[in-house]
Amino acid sequence: MRELYAYKDLLFRLVRKDFLSSYQQTLLGPFWLMFQPLVTVIIYVLVFHAVIGVSTEGIPAFLYYLIGITLWNLFSNILLNTSYAFVQSAHIFEKVYFPRLISPFSILILNLLRFGIQFLLLLLAAGYFYIFKKVDFNPGYLLFTVPVIIITSCLGFGAGLIFSIITVKYKDLLNLLDLFTRLLMFICPIFYSLAIVPKNVKWLVYLNPLSSQFEMFRYAFLGKGTFHYVDILYSIGFMICLLFAGIAIFNKWSDKLIDVV
Amino acid sequence: MTPIIIHAENISKLYHLGKIGTGSLRRDIQHWWKGQILGKDDPYFKSVQDERNSIWALKNVNFEIREGEAWGIIGRNGAGKSTFLKILSRIVKPTEGTVKGRGRISSLLEVGTGFHTDLTGRENIFISGNILGMNKREIQQKFDEIVDFSGIEKFLDTPVKRYSSGMYVRLAFAVAAHLEPDILIVDEVLAVGDAEFQKKCLGKMKDDSSKIGRTVIFVSHNLQAISNLCTQAIWLEKGRVCARGDSKTVVNNYLGSENKKSWKQEFFNLDSAPGNNQIKVLLFELEPQLSSPLLPIDIRTPLTVKFKFLNLSDNIKLAVGIHLFTITGECIFDVSHTPATYKYGILEGECHIPGQFLNDGSYYLSIIFVKDSSEVLYYYEESLNFDVEDFRENLNWYGKWIGCVRPQFPVTLRQSEVKIPLLND
Repeated sequence: MRELYAYKDLLFRLVRKDFLSSYQQTLLGPFWLMFQPLVTVIIYVLVFHAVIGVSTEGIPAFLYYLIGITLWNLFSNILLNTSYAFVQSAHIFEKVYFPRLISPFSILILNLLRFGIQFLLLLLAAGYFYIFKKVDFNPGYLLFTVPVIIITSCLGFGAGLIFSIITVKYKDLLNLLDLFTRLLMFICPIFYSLAIVPKNVKWLVYLNPLSSQFEMFRYAFLGKGTFHYVDILYSIGFMICLLFAGIAIFNKWSDKLIDVV
Repeated sequence: MTPIIIHAENISKLYHLGKIGTGSLRRDIQHWWKGQILGKDDPYFKSVQDERNSIWALKNVNFEIREGEAWGIIGRNGAGKSTFLKILSRIVKPTEGTVKGRGRISSLLEVGTGFHTDLTGRENIFISGNILGMNKREIQQKFDEIVDFSGIEKFLDTPVKRYSSGMYVRLAFAVAAHLEPDILIVDEVLAVGDAEFQKKCLGKMKDDSSKIGRTVIFVSHNLQAISNLCTQAIWLEKGRVCARGDSKTVVNNYLGSENKKSWKQEFFNLDSAPGNNQIKVLLFELEPQLSSPLLPIDIRTPLTVKFKFLNLSDNIKLAVGIHLFTITGECIFDVSHTPATYKYGILEGECHIPGQFLNDGSYYLSIIFVKDSSEVLYYYEESLNFDVEDFRENLNWYGKWIGCVRPQFPVTLRQSEVKIPLLND
């Protein structure tokens, strides 16, 4: 840990490098970060709300989905990007020594930064609907977003670290992970609330440590959501296990895998 | 004596060839289950992990470096030099043994590690500097120096991908040259870049190690640079230490062993001897006059070419000529003796090439047999190869000395007494 701190300059340099380089020679630059969830939400509104007609509990579908999508993006981006951490940086790892954890950490910070911009968009949208009295909004509830963001990103980070090691040896697992993430999306209460899940599949959604996070995140904005403190403890426990396992596995294997890549 | 800064004890590194593990997840899990959980041996796995499929890149290397020393590492390709550097710079872990080091280590195994081609030169100076272990403040302090050293001031805000390859290398190296680690580890990175810039970098490295007392570990195929830059050297051969000590001695021994191969051709059987029904070559040998048999031929070494052949025709007017060529095929000389009449039987002769005559480089010898000064009886072409190594004393210049030969003809320079005619006179 002390060693990580000694390399903090490098950590932030890598974040800066990735952030700058992903918007070189683009038209909209970082505005893509806002553009992308907007388009996604509009599509989902059309599909789930207008065509299929899933209930959003009387809340404007746009805001309802944007809340879910923003949090989902945080999780899935951290998970997927971290999974590539080792393969992506292998060419640097082969030539220079620095604590290998720097690389996934820089990805984590970069994604939190991107999330920050999308969160801003979400706040703007929430503000808009509040002003036009379409939803109730209690600014105090926004504090709930803090633990949600921490727990969700750590869940993604921990799982990503584990995958980043496994996929060095079995590259095809990256495809599998992609598929898995897509499926996971549907057992997260993004487009529906836990309250409307049929009894016989409820266990599946409850098993998902992310479910309570989505409910809580929605609660922070809308004052509506069903979650129990047991669910939250479950999420936290899951997060701690995953995070420590991820860091331990990454540290242990990153030295050995240099010979493999 | 200065304190020990790196101490490597018995380091070995095993690499597996071909497939690593069993190659499939199912097999790996099966193996793990059987081996670790049930405690049985998996027959499939054994055949994969065979000794034949693995190679010891390094084997039992012991090493001690003291502060301020400059070490060169030499050896053929695949001798384990790069693995050794990677272990010292903590990139890979040795399979066996330990390395203990003190102080900050910076390793330069590649030019421009971590450069992002879409970003500007300015950004990349910071990225590269951080990756190599400098912190932000240090880079800011040295920023002007780095830019100055690289000479790319005008292009500082241009994306690196639009740089010429020379500019790219210069920028990358400029950053690296301004590192201030306690130990600097450099692989064959100087091979890129133009001669001028190479000289600048070598000069900077030499200054650092001699004036500031920085410890430098340097791998290069440029042996001239090693013996000039480094005080000590290690010679690795197939993962083992072959020799170590004073850099000039080690370099010379290394060169000596490299060149022994093709200096002698001797034939005891007339059927296999090269030639035809008039001439059979029995011996063709290059014999350098070296003070020690371990030393290589360098530009000072006098050489003797010895030859012995069977003349199958009686009473012919015969002349034997020696041709010396550079490796690129240019003839340096064609020497012969006065033709005379010789009887049937074995003839032998020799030719002396004085020292301080050939330039450094690779050469080959041919021998020609001529009858009556006109008819070629036999031409034994390109039969001996040898390398002449450079040798310079009290000369602070490592570039290639041009020319096919390097004789020491007297060149004089004196002050003229004639006054300079001034324009306004």
